[in-house]
Amino acid sequence: MNAKNSIISSKVESYYKDYGQRARELNGEGKKLIGYVCSFVPVEMITAAGCIPFRIRGDVGEPITKGDTLLETIVCPFVRSCFDLAVKGKYDFLSGVAIPHACDSMTRSYPVWSYSLELPYSHFINIPSVVKESSFEFFNEILKTFKQSLEEYVGKEISNDDLADAIKLHNANRDKAKAIYEFRKADPPLLTGVELTKIITVGTSLPVEEANALFDEVLEELGQRSESPVEKGPRILVDGACVDNFELIKIIEDSGANVVVDTICNGTRDAFPHTDEGGDPIDALAHRYLDKINCPKTYRNNEAGTFEGDIASRFGDIGKFSKDFKVDGAVLYVYKYCDPFGFEVPARKAYYESINVPLLYLEDLYSTGTIGQLKTRVQAFLEMIG
Amino acid sequence: MNKYFAGIDIGSTMTKAVILQEGIIASVIGPTGPEHRILANRVMEEALERAGLPFSSISYIVSTGYGRINVPFADKQVTEISCHAKGISYLFPRAKTIVDIGGQDSKAIKIDTNGRPTDFVMNDKCAAGSGRFIEVIADTLGLRLEDMGGISLQSGNPAKVSNVCTIWAQQEVASSLAKGAPVSDLVAGIHRSLADRVARMVKRLRVEKEVVLTGGGAKNIGLVHALAEQLEEEVQIPEEPLITGALGAALLGRDITDKAAKNNTALKTKERVLETVKIL
Amino acid sequence: MAEEKKKKHKKRRTATKAAASIGPMVKEFIGGTNRARAEGTHKIAYTFIVCHHEEILRAMDVLPVWTENFAGICGAIRDSERFLQRAESLGFSRSLCTYALCGLGFDQWREELGEMPPNAPWGGQARPDFMVSTGQILCDPRAKWYQAAQQYMPDVPIYNIDLPYPLYDPNHDHREVWGYYHKYIVKEMRGFVSFLEEQTGKKMDYDRLKEYVALSDKTWNLIEETYNLRAAKPCPMGTGDAMNTMVPMNFKMASQEAYDFYVGLNAELKEKNAKKEGIVANEKYRLLWGGGLPSWFALGDFNYFNSKGAVFPAETTYRMVAPLDEMDIPETDDPIEHLAWKWLGYWTFWYDRARKRPGSHPDVEWLINYIERYDIDGVVMHEAFSCRSWHVGLIWQLQQLAKIYKPIPVLMLGDSGQKKEGKRELPSLILESDIIDITSYSEVDTRNKIDAFIETLESIEKSKIN
Repeated sequence: MNAKNSIISSKVESYYKDYGQRARELNGEGKKLIGYVCSFVPVEMITAAGCIPFRIRGDVGEPITKGDTLLETIVCPFVRSCFDLAVKGKYDFLSGVAIPHACDSMTRSYPVWSYSLELPYSHFINIPSVVKESSFEFFNEILKTFKQSLEEYVGKEISNDDLADAIKLHNANRDKAKAIYEFRKADPPLLTGVELTKIITVGTSLPVEEANALFDEVLEELGQRSESPVEKGPRILVDGACVDNFELIKIIEDSGANVVVDTICNGTRDAFPHTDEGGDPIDALAHRYLDKINCPKTYRNNEAGTFEGDIASRFGDIGKFSKDFKVDGAVLYVYKYCDPFGFEVPARKAYYESINVPLLYLEDLYSTGTIGQLKTRVQAFLEMIG
Repeated sequence: MNKYFAGIDIGSTMTKAVILQEGIIASVIGPTGPEHRILANRVMEEALERAGLPFSSISYIVSTGYGRINVPFADKQVTEISCHAKGISYLFPRAKTIVDIGGQDSKAIKIDTNGRPTDFVMNDKCAAGSGRFIEVIADTLGLRLEDMGGISLQSGNPAKVSNVCTIWAQQEVASSLAKGAPVSDLVAGIHRSLADRVARMVKRLRVEKEVVLTGGGAKNIGLVHALAEQLEEEVQIPEEPLITGALGAALLGRDITDKAAKNNTALKTKERVLETVKIL
Repeated sequence: MAEEKKKKHKKRRTATKAAASIGPMVKEFIGGTNRARAEGTHKIAYTFIVCHHEEILRAMDVLPVWTENFAGICGAIRDSERFLQRAESLGFSRSLCTYALCGLGFDQWREELGEMPPNAPWGGQARPDFMVSTGQILCDPRAKWYQAAQQYMPDVPIYNIDLPYPLYDPNHDHREVWGYYHKYIVKEMRGFVSFLEEQTGKKMDYDRLKEYVALSDKTWNLIEETYNLRAAKPCPMGTGDAMNTMVPMNFKMASQEAYDFYVGLNAELKEKNAKKEGIVANEKYRLLWGGGLPSWFALGDFNYFNSKGAVFPAETTYRMVAPLDEMDIPETDDPIEHLAWKWLGYWTFWYDRARKRPGSHPDVEWLINYIERYDIDGVVMHEAFSCRSWHVGLIWQLQQLAKIYKPIPVLMLGDSGQKKEGKRELPSLILESDIIDITSYSEVDTRNKIDAFIETLESIEKSKIN
């Protein structure tokens, strides 16, 4: 398959470069796009309402300027970048925005988002911070309130069937994403980390049915790949929050390593957990978003009673990915001013040590300005584990 | 073996080259500028001249430092982390913690008994954590950079410099001077302030002796003392701190060559030609 | 470093005797927790302020160690840097809440030594039997803090009370949802009671709890009444003092000591008002501290404001009570249900008012209300770099305030070049540093900003139409 026929080189690349082009078209057709940041927003609800969930992205190449006149610089730089792009009009095709209670940077900036952008729809989803039976009960109510707000906005009821259908579609999307990840298990992987980042990122900018169709095309193309686009190198897991620009991944791969798996938001955190089908859809959503998603923001009680047991429980998914994808090393990439991950760095470090996976911890801003510094650290790390 | 190896370190303020056989045959230290490739050529030429060797005699060349990608004749580029680790462990076989204070950045490296880095931390984001801090203050006080260390040791009562930002510290020092604070106290305070910041970074690794300080910062005796005080450990310094990166690079070149010989694999090397670089 | 400790930090002037009594009160309190630890007389819990759970702790005879308070003390006596650095050496970023960094550094050190770190501030922070974290919306890092601390104290269990409140929605009445919020909070609180019963081996005495809840209600109303006395002209007590007098409110609620303290403060303020005794002899400007936790190491800046004739009759920071009779929360006999309603009532206090004013928001409404109640000339805020929970949205609040609230009549230049009457917004100032990390603070810079702000107030005063 040459570049001309390649979906990845053409469609994915185009949708990634001009992120939101499809959304803009759909908005022109009268469709309602609801923007969101973070894995905690129940996208199924938005789809069930007949709207299109659109994942707001930052841009490491765009210096934050206008956003700083309204939002403090101590906010997580990813959120700041998203906000900056929004006030610069890059997302003017949005009809609304949905922000979850994921971290203080998002929660505290919610009024600034909703008042500054003056969108017809804005909603804050108050995700609980603990996982108890009462939390699921509460979260069910929160989801019903979210449902009501969307119903008011679109002027139509959202039935349980609408929800069940949306859940099926989004689960299909997750299955396809998982299938794409399978191609990373090869040694060397059959797709690069940069390609994967672009594919997953682009998927979140499209209506779920179109994302599913695109993923099918990608899967077909990958299925026909007989050789890897990269040479064998140390196999790396990337751990962190929203790493939605490919620059970090590229630095790691340009240094001779293969990025084969991740535990980042616009990666497996988003793409892997399934919503249960067949029962009460609201409760199923509550369980997926509060329990199945593994994110530092959710406080998990230490049932083991020991530190070792606690970290094995909290970070066990990292261990499983490391095994399944035969990982040689990991990069923990945390933004400066990120509270949820920042507090977990020593515990995560201890966990990687316990599973004998060498770790490079990077604290960074959200900007291409630090590329030189990142390159040196990544290269030194690879020299260390090589 | 009669083999020769070369290491080139293009740092942010200095460019260095080392030619190695059993020991160091020649070393050159020159200033850095924007045209890395010209400087790389120059120090390589000069080192060869001092060693009395033709370029073709060099078996393997490794480049390192911030400008390492701009050495077209280098056979391999390796980060300064690995190179300093190698160079210092060669000079100080019992070293476990390395601190490098350069003109524009600082770093700390933990090494194992084989001289391989096991952990590292860098500060390349803030002038106040580098030699630049001392330079700016020297300028403010009208003193020579080379004299700053000695002056700091004359003080028995280092001033407290509370500002961490180079610009603010400059203001603070100027204003204290105007109020009659003794120069040596201010200079000592500045050294302590930098040492404190560097120590903060170093402590993120577990500080184990022996501790070795290298880079331009190691030529500042006041800084060496201040750092030892902050780390509460004895701090050793190499005879020529500026070349430890280039030395390490050359040593790594030797390791790579030896390994290839042992495994009977071919070594990929560049043509031994110093291309003429057009000045744009 | 030794010289800085010897050079005694100049003691800050307070306007009231009540505020001056707080230092010794806190020292005694901390000493008490350390004695209790040594003698084993009480169970000790690390915990956070404003969780509406002091009544529960007291009824179970559990002694709280307020970790935020201890960090604040380290900041105020300027001995926090070594703990912050220690936390950094463990792998925590300096950009995180510096209360937490201070606490984590201290705890790890204490655990490593098996005793208090050398020269521990005011005797140090006692090792807890368990930790009670919470926050939800109030401050998310709280849950992460104790979770991180547990790495160094793996035998100390944690109970995390989830305490949400509904965020403001201009298009919906919060009462539509606060029923299910209440249900959840009550369950969380009851779970907390069960946890304490398990840890202490005692059963909750609900009659005793009711008494503490009643005492705490009484104290709330008294504090509100007392702080309203600061609206007098000249103002008898400012925010500098309030950063002290907030101690009984936040660290000793539901205690007779706290109630008596405010009785004393109330009397002192009434006396000052009768004698027209203000903070400063020549009161020129009345300012509102409109947001942000203070720099604990720079409370002296309030005296600097005073020296320019500026006083702070009110602040929103640490004003963690609201008049109960103005909250329309449902009545209940159950003390836990009542605590949960108080929580919701406090956090939604300004929602109805905000809904009535176009473009408003509860935080902005609060500012407007105090501006009018205390006759305020300007608003000052503080942005602490390590705390997103309380210091994000300040820029926006001031902008929104300026947009929707223009109370100052001034002469402005019209389009034709003629002077005409108009209304302008209040001037505002945002100071930048941190809660306890003094390396972020430049006294020269801060005082420059304050001077410039005073000049702004002067020029507005001059152009005011009377």
